Amino acid sequence: MWRFKEREEEEEMTVKVRFFARFRELFGTDIVTDAAPGTSFIDLIKKIAEKNREGYEAIFDTNGAFREFVILMKNGKRIDCTDAGKTLINDGDEIAVFPPVAGG
Amino acid sequence: MISERERERYKRQMLLFGDDGQERLKKAHIFIAGAGGLGSPIALYLAVAGIGTLTIVDKDVVDQSNLNRQILHYDRDIGRKKTASAEEKLSEVNPDITVKVIDATIGASNAGTLIGNADGIVDAMDNYPTRYLLNDVAIEKNIPLFHGGIRGFYGQATTIIPYKTACLRCIFPHAPPQEVFPVVGVTPGFIGMIQATEVLKYLLGSGELLTNRLFIWDGMQAHAEEIALERNPRCAACGDSKNVKRKKK
Repeated sequence: MWRFKEREEEEEMTVKVRFFARFRELFGTDIVTDAAPGTSFIDLIKKIAEKNREGYEAIFDTNGAFREFVILMKNGKRIDCTDAGKTLINDGDEIAVFPPVAGG
Repeated sequence: MISERERERYKRQMLLFGDDGQERLKKAHIFIAGAGGLGSPIALYLAVAGIGTLTIVDKDVVDQSNLNRQILHYDRDIGRKKTASAEEKLSEVNPDITVKVIDATIGASNAGTLIGNADGIVDAMDNYPTRYLLNDVAIEKNIPLFHGGIRGFYGQATTIIPYKTACLRCIFPHAPPQEVFPVVGVTPGFIGMIQATEVLKYLLGSGELLTNRLFIWDGMQAHAEEIALERNPRCAACGDSKNVKRKKK
């Protein structure tokens, strides 16, 4: 039992999530969080966003999908909103979530 | 040819880029979409740098609530067309350039005509639907687009060279919802200066342009960063299918 738990702890991953613009106002600048192996991009962000209703609604639509204007990045590479459910998170990943700013 | 008067006016910057550079700026025609928060500082600095022809389009009238950021317009201009106010200030700040103003709403039917054969398009708009129109014309006419956007203390900027770099649709395929955005004048001032610097570099043909990179500024943290961008082959505006159509023409 003990050994099993140790292994589980070893496998726990650490991920850095960065929000920008309005999302940063709602969630803060950099969030370092743990994630279990097999966690998808969308699940990870939902776990963080669920703590803040206004923030959750800014990022996700009523069906629980990313709002289509939201920009997602994983280690500097763009992730399409529609691929966020099948994109898995790896240990040490840097995730960025931001809205385009529209004012001028 | 650069006149003696111009030589004196531009003396300090000609130390940087000489007669040749100043001549390039003088021959250039830059289109600025909007005479608001971004458009004001951009137009002012491009005017004093000696861009030969500036065309500025805006549809609005100066409102008191514009004055915290739209530095082309003064208290006495409230109720006046932004284009008239802009023309007056820019002609006074540099009588050696040509300032054209057009009081119009940029739409799908007139965007191409308004932009004409400008050497560069500056995005100083406050909404994505119009930005996408500027992007379409930039691609159609192969004119660079200098993008900027702001909200509060946050800003973003990038330079788009059609068919060579990510376009606005590659970067932002979908518009964020419209809102009355909070803003303090320093943010469009700061982002506008990045756009204006890009215009100068492009015209001078020197330096590294802000292409395939989204510059992101957080004024509250005094932190700048950039995100690498790439063209989307399936982009609705500049993707491969559009390229095929274009070649067939």
